[in-house]
Amino acid sequence: MSTGPNRVLGLELARFRYSGASRDTLSGINLSLAPGSLTVVLGNSGSGKSTLGAVLAGMLPRHDGDALDATLHLAGQRIHHRPGAAVRIDPVGWARQVGLLPQDARHYLSGVRATVAEELALGLENAGVPRAQMHRRIAALADRLELHALLERDPAQLSGGQERLVALAALALDAPAVLVLDEPLAGLDAAVAARICELLDRLRSGGTALVLLARAVDRLAAGADTVLALREGSCHELDTAVPADAAPVAPAVRRAPGTRDEVLLGFSGVGIGYPGSARPVVEGLELTVRAGECVGLAGPNGSGKTTVLKAAAGLLCPSAGQVRGKSLAAGTVGLLLQNPSDQLFERTVAREVAFGLPRRGPAAARIPAVLDSLGLREHAQAHPYELPASSRRLVALATVLVREPEVLLLDEPTEALDADGLALLHAALAAVLDRGGAVLLATHDEAFMAATAHRVHRMGPAVAARVRDRTGGPG
Amino acid sequence: MPRTCRLHPFTVLALAAAATATTVAAGRWWLSVAVLLACLLLAAWARRARRLAGLAAAILAPAFGSQLLIHSMADTAGGHVLAAAGPLRITAEGLATAGALGLRTGVLVVAGLLCTLLVDRHDLVAAVDLSPAPPQLGYLLAATLLLLPALEQRQRAIGQAQLLRGATPGGGPRGWFRRVRLRSVPLVLGALQDAADRSAHLAARGFPAAGPHTRLREVPDSAAQRRVRRIALACIVLGPVAVLAPTWAGAA
Ligand SMILES: Nc1ncnc2c1ncn2[C@@H]1O[C@H](COP(=O)(O)OP(=O)(O)OP(=O)(O)O)[C@@H](O)[C@H]1O
Ligand SMILES: [Mg+2]
Repeated sequence: MSTGPNRVLGLELARFRYSGASRDTLSGINLSLAPGSLTVVLGNSGSGKSTLGAVLAGMLPRHDGDALDATLHLAGQRIHHRPGAAVRIDPVGWARQVGLLPQDARHYLSGVRATVAEELALGLENAGVPRAQMHRRIAALADRLELHALLERDPAQLSGGQERLVALAALALDAPAVLVLDEPLAGLDAAVAARICELLDRLRSGGTALVLLARAVDRLAAGADTVLALREGSCHELDTAVPADAAPVAPAVRRAPGTRDEVLLGFSGVGIGYPGSARPVVEGLELTVRAGECVGLAGPNGSGKTTVLKAAAGLLCPSAGQVRGKSLAAGTVGLLLQNPSDQLFERTVAREVAFGLPRRGPAAARIPAVLDSLGLREHAQAHPYELPASSRRLVALATVLVREPEVLLLDEPTEALDADGLALLHAALAAVLDRGGAVLLATHDEAFMAATAHRVHRMGPAVAARVRDRTGGPG
Repeated sequence: MPRTCRLHPFTVLALAAAATATTVAAGRWWLSVAVLLACLLLAAWARRARRLAGLAAAILAPAFGSQLLIHSMADTAGGHVLAAAGPLRITAEGLATAGALGLRTGVLVVAGLLCTLLVDRHDLVAAVDLSPAPPQLGYLLAATLLLLPALEQRQRAIGQAQLLRGATPGGGPRGWFRRVRLRSVPLVLGALQDAADRSAHLAARGFPAAGPHTRLREVPDSAAQRRVRRIALACIVLGPVAVLAPTWAGAA
C-alpha cells in the first residue's frame, strides 16, 4: 500500500448535481472502504443510491455539465473533481479497481457477444488474457455458480434472473478491488442467491471491498461493517445493529378467495417453447385461476414463469395444449412485465398511460385517477426513463391498471419497488380481487408471496438445468 | 435449421471475391451462369436457397429492369431492330448487352448475398479481431453487423408492449404501415437510450480494446484453408489480368 490509511477507495463528496437539474442529487457524503469491508447504502428509490454508485465507479460526472465537487482516493491516487473542471477518467483503468453492477443488470450485458461464455470473457479478452487461461477461469467460476448450462446460450435470450447472474459472474471474473452492487439478489431464486452470497463472501475474504446499494437490509446486508442511510441525497450513519426486519412490511391483504367459481384463466396440458430452442420450456402445465383468487407462480430462475405469464397474455402461442380465458384483445387481461423497459416506449408518462386508449372512452377518463392513486400525478409530463426505478415500475403498472383488467398478471412486481410503491401495489391487487377479478403473479420475494397469494403453483427446475450433462463434453 | 460451414470467414470471402472478379472480367455468359448455379447449389446445401433467391430477386429485379431500359429499349447503335415504337427501339445488340451486364451484376449480387448467408457474423468479427487489423475495425464491424439484430429484437419487444395495450396492427400492407408508424419513433428513441445505458459499461469493460487483445471464440482455420486463401487472392489479381491481357495486347 502506498498511501497511509488502509483503504482501497475513499470519497469525500461535497455535492453532485446532474446537468440541467435544479437541485443537488447528492450532498455531504464521506466513505472510506477498507479491503474486505462490506458497506451497505440504504435508501428508498430516488434517494440517490444509483448516482452514488456511478460516482464511485467513475461513470459520473459525464463530460456534459454534471457538477461534482468531490475528492476520491483510489489506488494511491487522489482525484479532485470541481464543478466545471471534472477530471477526465480512464474508464478501463478505473474499472480495474471498481466494478459496478447496475440496477438493471441487462445494461451490463454487452450485446456484442454470441454466447454467455464469451460475454463473461469480454473484460478478460480486452485485457489480453490468453485463451487457455480464460477457459480455466470461466470453468472454475461456472463450477462455483453452477452455470455450465448457460455458457453456450445467447445472452439476449436469458430470463430476468439469469441476466443478473451472468452480469454478476462477469464482474466477479474481472475481480476488481471494489465491487459496487445495486440490488444484487433481486430476482434471483434462493439457490442462486445462496451461491452468489457464498461467492461474495469468498471475494471479501480475499480482500475485495463490497458496496451494497439496497432498499432494505437483506441477508447479504446483515453482515455489514458500515451502514449508511441515504435520504434525499445526504447521508446519515447508522450503527451496524440494524433490525433485520427493517424490510418493508407488507400489509396483509390475504383474503379468502371469492365465492364465485368462474374460471378466468385456465391452462390444460400447455407446452410452450421458443423458436430455436431444442425442447419446450414449459411442458404439461395444468393451472386454473378463478375469480377472486390470487395465485402465485414460484420456481427457480429460468423455470418458465415469465413464459407462462406471456402465454396467458397471448404474447406467446403454446405449442401444445390450450389456454382458456378472456382474451387480451378484449382488454380483460393485463400483464406487468418483469423489466419495465420492455413495457415503456413513449416520451412522457401521460402519453405512455394513454397509449392505445380511445380518446373519449371510459378508460381514458380514468387516467388522472389512476395516476393519482399511484402517486404519479406530478410526473405526468416526465420522461419515464428519467424517473427512479420504483416510479418507473409504477408507470408500467398504471398502463395496465387503466384498462381495469379482469385478470392481472404480475411478473416480479416487487423488484426495485420501494416501501411506498409496495403499499400501492398491494392496494391495486386488492382492488382487482374486490371487483371479482383474479391475479396470477410470479415472484422470488417470499414475503410478498406469503402476503398475497392464496395458493402457490411451483414450476419445475429449468429445462436447461435438466440437460446439464450435455455440455459436459462439447464436441 | 440452416447449415453453416465450419470455414474461416476469410476463406469464404476470398473464394467469393476470386470467383466474382474472374467471372466479371471474363464476361462469358456461360461462366456467369455456371457461377450463379454453383452459388444456388451451395445455398441449397446450407438450406438457404429460398432466402437467397428471395433476396437476390428483391435486389436484382430493379437493376435488371433499368439495364433493360437503358441498353435494349433505348439502344441507338444496334442494327438488328426487333421492334420499334417512336424513339424506342429494341435491338438484338442491345438485348445482348443488357443480358451480359445483367449476368455480371447477378454474379456480384448473388455471390455477395451468399457470403452473408454462409458466414457467421460473430465468426467474422472474431476473425477481424484476431487478425492484425486495427481494433477499431473490429469494433466498427461489430457495431454494424450486430446493430440490425439488436434493432430487430428491440422492435419485437416494442411490438409486444404495444400488443399489451391492445394495439393490433393487423396484416396486409395497411397493417404494415400502421406497424411502421407505431414502432419507428419508439424504436429509434429506445435504441438511443439503450446505447447510452450500455456504453459506460462497455467502456469500463475495455470495449473496444485499445491494445493487444484476445478472443475466447476460436475461428475454425487450417493450413489448407490458408493455402486456399492465398490462391484465391492470387486469382483476384491474376484472373482479371489473365483475361484482359490478350485484349490489351490485341489493342496495342
Ligand atoms: N426469447 C427467448 N428465446 C429463447 N429462450 C428464452 C427466451 N426467453 C427466455 N428463454 C429461456 O426460457 C427459459 C424460461 O425463461 P423465463 O423467462 O420464462 O424464466 P423465469 O421463470 O421467468 O425466470 P426468472 O425467475 O429468472 O425470471 C429460460 O431458460 C430462458 O433462458
Ligand atoms: Mg421471469
